[in-house]
Amino acid sequence: MATATPSSRTADRERADRIYFTLAALLGGIVIVYFACVPLLGGNLAFHFYLMLWITMASGFNVSSGFSGYMPFGYVAFYGVGAFTTAILVKKVGMPVLATLPLAGLAGLILALLFAPTLRLSGIYFAIVSLALAAICRLVITNMPETITGGSFGLQLGSHAEPVLSFYVMMVVMLVALGTILWLSRSRLGKALRAVRDDAEAADMMGINIARVRLQGWLIAAFFPAVCGGVEAWYTNVVDTETAFNTLITAKTVIYAVAGGLGTVTGPVVGAIAMVWLDELIWRRFPLLNLLILGLATVLLVLFLPRGIVGTVLRWRPGWRRFVP
Amino acid sequence: MSKLDVDGLVKRFGGLVALDGVAFAAAPGEVLGIIGVNGAGKTTLMNCICGIYRPDAGTIHLDGAVVTGMAPHDIATRGVGRTFQVPRVFRRMSLIDNLLVPVLKRRAPDRTLIEAAEAMLERMRLIDLRHNFAEELSGGQQKLLEMARMLMPEPKVVMLDEPFAGVHPTLCRFMIEQIEAMAAAHTTVLLISHDLTSIYRLSSRVLALNQGRVIADGGVDAIRGNPAVIEAYLGS
Repeated sequence: MATATPSSRTADRERADRIYFTLAALLGGIVIVYFACVPLLGGNLAFHFYLMLWITMASGFNVSSGFSGYMPFGYVAFYGVGAFTTAILVKKVGMPVLATLPLAGLAGLILALLFAPTLRLSGIYFAIVSLALAAICRLVITNMPETITGGSFGLQLGSHAEPVLSFYVMMVVMLVALGTILWLSRSRLGKALRAVRDDAEAADMMGINIARVRLQGWLIAAFFPAVCGGVEAWYTNVVDTETAFNTLITAKTVIYAVAGGLGTVTGPVVGAIAMVWLDELIWRRFPLLNLLILGLATVLLVLFLPRGIVGTVLRWRPGWRRFVP
Repeated sequence: MSKLDVDGLVKRFGGLVALDGVAFAAAPGEVLGIIGVNGAGKTTLMNCICGIYRPDAGTIHLDGAVVTGMAPHDIATRGVGRTFQVPRVFRRMSLIDNLLVPVLKRRAPDRTLIEAAEAMLERMRLIDLRHNFAEELSGGQQKLLEMARMLMPEPKVVMLDEPFAGVHPTLCRFMIEQIEAMAAAHTTVLLISHDLTSIYRLSSRVLALNQGRVIADGGVDAIRGNPAVIEAYLGS
């Protein structure tokens, strides 16, 4: 490649930015039109609701894992706390459901602040501690007075069910999450997070306040699953500790995010779409072997595409990194 | 006035005294070579100066201000940059992004910073690889990238830990030119190397360490003939 002049480099940069934002707008437009049409055209509401939920969950997880380098195996804690926040505020305080959703996100942020000291840990130690903290959250809520959390029966939101409205709210949450991650991937905070992920000590010596940057990434990662928990509580109209803190929620989030490829905006989206579709297909054909086959598919994916679908494509075509969100 | 002033620096790891009262000063534009056998305390000294280790005793002044015990990012912001014995680049970030990391706090527009990063990559002959991930570079190129990243925020003091280790002679000569350019720009350079030829060529002064102590501090000719240095390297 011939060495470019400064002016040609500027033109090249502007061209790459144009392609990047055009592609992002195009993909965003397709996603909006596709999901917006589902209720209007009588599509499978539940399937698409959960598809959007998993895209949001996997994208939030991507901030923690793909950008910050943390693997929170207890990610479900944020989801569960968000679900119970919405359920308690609706059922016990009598708040409108929509007003509780930002508060569900706030509950996730508060929980993230409580968990923040664990950010001193790294690798498998952090993963195990976060798993333990999620189990503690579940136990605390299970053992709270039945008058608040509904005990083992959980809380039923009664007449608040509005499947179509909650579907569109989930869509808005997904778009906000994707927009946030799109911003993050281009922002200075995103660069700082990636530097800390790759080598925290070196980043520290380059002037990055690693504790602050990690906390900012952690808070973003915690907000979206908590809101997802709140919206799902509204959609299903029932919340109990068994389902709201089910470790399968973390497992699926991790699988979908890793399958697509961590560290890009599109990776978790592609991963969630591919794996949710695969999950649905397996569920229909082999209901009894669903988890076994999904597990095997995940093992094969990790073995042959360790960087996920988008990550592998970008490894084969490094030139596309500048254009693919 | 000296740019960097280290006085009575002590660092212990349990019963091991890694630095034992190390003291020296380095002026702007001075290339201070730091030599010593393995385990002499060279890298520990660098780690204390840049804040990775908190010294057990002693003080470090930068531009007359005490920086002892400060966090590494605060010391970096005050103008101390470094490279590592084994390159520690941000592996899954492009070369441009690697260079932007030390200047992320700057108020300058992104475009200005990117253009500065491109100019730096051009200076380091890495411009054609600017969109590659750092992990895709060779070892020697990673050393150059580290040097470029260190120079991006225009530091007052730079510390180079074994910059010539495992580097091709042609690249080595290029790096020597860069170090000379840093000194010409009044940057204080602390240079750790086992390559005594390069140290003697570049340094205006050499500090010899042995078992955490300064055994000699002076000009190249004085260090070359110093019996304590010869004994530390060759044995009695």
